[in-house]
Amino acid sequence: MSRVPRGALWSSFARSFLIQGSWNYRTMQGSGFAFALLPALRSIFRGRPGELDASVARHAEHFNAHPYLSNLALGAVVRLEADGEDGDDVRRFKTAVRGPLGGLGDSLVWASWLPAVSLAALALYWLGAPGWLAVATFVVVYNVGHVGLRAWGFRTGLAEGRWVGRSLGRAALGKWTERVRSAAALLLGVLAGTVLAGTGGLADAGPTWGVLGVAAFVVGDLAGHRLWRPTAVVVVVVVAVLATWGWAS
Amino acid sequence: MPLVLLRVDERLIHGQVVLGWGSALRPDRYIVVDDQLAESGWEQDLYRLGAGDGDTFFVGVAEARERFPEWRAGAERSILLTRDVGTMLALARGGLLAGESVNLGGLHHRPDRKQVLTYLNLSDEEMHQLASLDAEGVAVSARDLPDAARVTLRSLLGS
Repeated sequence: MSRVPRGALWSSFARSFLIQGSWNYRTMQGSGFAFALLPALRSIFRGRPGELDASVARHAEHFNAHPYLSNLALGAVVRLEADGEDGDDVRRFKTAVRGPLGGLGDSLVWASWLPAVSLAALALYWLGAPGWLAVATFVVVYNVGHVGLRAWGFRTGLAEGRWVGRSLGRAALGKWTERVRSAAALLLGVLAGTVLAGTGGLADAGPTWGVLGVAAFVVGDLAGHRLWRPTAVVVVVVVAVLATWGWAS
Repeated sequence: MPLVLLRVDERLIHGQVVLGWGSALRPDRYIVVDDQLAESGWEQDLYRLGAGDGDTFFVGVAEARERFPEWRAGAERSILLTRDVGTMLALARGGLLAGESVNLGGLHHRPDRKQVLTYLNLSDEEMHQLASLDAEGVAVSARDLPDAARVTLRSLLGS
């Protein structure tokens, strides 16, 4: 690949944090995608303003994926454009990659990493750590994952181009998602137990809350069956055990 | 009911299909009908990522027409996807899909398309193709997710 200077790559990576800055229903992340690519495209198409314009217009078209994982697409598109690939091929690549990147990112980040780190910070607080420490822990830990994922995506995309599918398969994001989710389920159990068994918990709340709790369980049992998973069973059992223990002590 | 869903969706295999429809219909496999994708290994790699454990294969229109009766009679539950109305129509020609239902799931904005529903944009050509699908005996309706309201072809074309 013709070399894209390091400075332009850094600049594109920095801009990727704003990829949803002009999110809209028509092109979704499209204009943000073009905005982030611009520094790299400027260096690739130096001295060819017509081709630069065409490329920017092409990348401002509809695109949507998870905002962190869209960096994989950004990196790969820089590679494809630098290699002088045909515009239609680049478009086909973006069409194919947006679905998996959206789905994998949603389940890994929104449904697993975010709740897991939030629960860890809350657990820390309920275990007696000062509030600022819980908040600081959340901000630091969450963003290590967040920025790490963006950086990994951008580098992997640059290295693999249109073959990112292979790296994504090897990275087994699904397995990571399961691990993070199990940790979150465990933390939820610990947290619920800490709250219920602690001073001011269910033990001190009186019969009204007990009745409400049972009602909530029945509603969850009847209406929540679509979300029923083995982890949910574990959570309910842990909460029940700890609640009983809190009641008894 | 071995063909549990026939759907037109530009995104093909993605969250709405795999999580939304997949968990409601429990398919054994996804069949993508597309002449271009049937020839393109790297694109198939990308789409397969979204399918999770589901078995996924890609066939061209001609092969799909040949194998359709076998899919309909088979024991495996399949979700069949195309990314444009034209491919679905090519599949339906000669009454091959007569009696089946086709679901319109997602066609994005394009300069030649007009927004019909939040998830559905149609060009004039596509409107004609939908009318032809209807004439081939196919029940066409739009619905992005299994628990969303079904919008009939008549109200789509009327708007």
